[in-house]
Amino acid sequence: MTSNDANVPTPQELIKSFKVQAAIAREERAKTDALFLSIGEGVIATDENGKIIRVNQRAIDLLGYPRREMIGKWFPKKIRAVTESGKPIRNIDRPISRSFVNGETIKEKMYYVRKDGSHMPVHVTISPIMLRNKPIGAIEIFRDITLENEMDKLKADFISLASHQLRTPLAAVQTYTNMFLQGYIGEVTEVQASFLNTILDASERMNDLISTLLNITRIEAGNLLINTEETDLNMLARNVMSELDSLAKEKNIKMTYQPTDDPLIVDSDPSLIREVVINLLTNAVKYTPEGGDVTIRLTKEGHTAVVEVIDSGFGIPLGEQDRIFTKFYRATNILKRDTTGTGLGLYLVKNIAERLGGDLMFTSFENQGTTFTFTLPSYDTVVPAKISI
Amino acid sequence: MAQILVVEDDHDLNTAYRIILEHEKHVVETAYNGEEGLKKLKDFTPDLIVLDLLMPVMSGIDFLNEFRNMTSHAKVLVFTNLENSKEINEAFRLGADKCVVKAWTGPQGLLKVVNNILGTPATAKK
Repeated sequence: MTSNDANVPTPQELIKSFKVQAAIAREERAKTDALFLSIGEGVIATDENGKIIRVNQRAIDLLGYPRREMIGKWFPKKIRAVTESGKPIRNIDRPISRSFVNGETIKEKMYYVRKDGSHMPVHVTISPIMLRNKPIGAIEIFRDITLENEMDKLKADFISLASHQLRTPLAAVQTYTNMFLQGYIGEVTEVQASFLNTILDASERMNDLISTLLNITRIEAGNLLINTEETDLNMLARNVMSELDSLAKEKNIKMTYQPTDDPLIVDSDPSLIREVVINLLTNAVKYTPEGGDVTIRLTKEGHTAVVEVIDSGFGIPLGEQDRIFTKFYRATNILKRDTTGTGLGLYLVKNIAERLGGDLMFTSFENQGTTFTFTLPSYDTVVPAKISI
Repeated sequence: MAQILVVEDDHDLNTAYRIILEHEKHVVETAYNGEEGLKKLKDFTPDLIVLDLLMPVMSGIDFLNEFRNMTSHAKVLVFTNLENSKEINEAFRLGADKCVVKAWTGPQGLLKVVNNILGTPATAKK
């Protein structure tokens, strides 16, 4: 090989080419660094052992640690995480640990402890960095959500106030109408009673709507309180069913109750379960034509309590079934028949079911009927968990 | 027949509850906030207090905070429009016997819950 060969670079040409490539690599590296450092949220990258290898300026500003105090340190030890009440989150429960174990992106809210000891609410998103299917590190982006939390608190305060202020005049309307109906100021005629019952029905609908809106706002703000107690689902279902008896009779709908042989006990919030069951049963009666059937069937499958609400109603069109739990969504075949719904009920009860550790699913065929299946962990699942604490 | 103190800031509801309870021959005193309620307790010894939570001047929670340091046999029925709220858990923690949402409870419902509470043996609160 000689320098006379036109295809072979000379040593000078090789050196020049290496220099150019090195300059390009440096430029690329500088751009990547600039990109990393300029990200408006805190960013921390670790190696495969969880040791911090890079942090950006925003992370330094948010946490209060200078860069040199973080680089090379084990992430979970250096950046301490606590719950809202200040309880330390175990290393094994930290998103970074779980992300390494599962190889998945994890998003979570928690509190980071700053260098000065103060607690900062953060939303973190952490992903493993994979190279040839092997994790070589992790990258976390975190955001200070102090302002968002303050907004959530304002929202919760508003809910509390709205709940009270909207309902107080409604309670007065209902109480005085009931007193009127029950003869506190003398006997009422049949026609008067009918008018008064219309007022009561309308105010109850308003009450239901306020409850739905308030519960949705609570769920979306993460403020839904769950007060658990031993609850017999058989009894709860029977009570809800009897409440809807007159509505079903108006449409000549046959209601069937199929309980389990033994009490079906769950350790959950009875008022929230009731909200789910009453919603499903009301829909079933409302969207089943005259003379149809509605059944509530309770079963236990392994460690799961199952409540099925089965109707012979209009059903949900196949093409719309993936949207049925979407807020404000109403099936087109129902919109033609009924304009009074809000499209909030199923969105609400699906969320409640999930918050209670269960789920809500359905199968439906248009003009044949729908079966909603509401599941909850049964009592025997919950008890061992309690004992182990 | 029992002695009942109604502490409710809404004048319409306060009047309605008095009428409903007096109709059942109960002896009723009324107050429009927690502070007035505490004053009434100096001269009136109720068997039951029907207590709203959100009230001006002194809330139901502040009333319960004071009331639990008093010697009284009165049971406490929290009658509020708050539901699924921290205030209700706090009311139970401070000794409330029962909590009912007003908007869901008509006159018969009120009487039923009052009779249920009064039917149970009273215990001294200290």
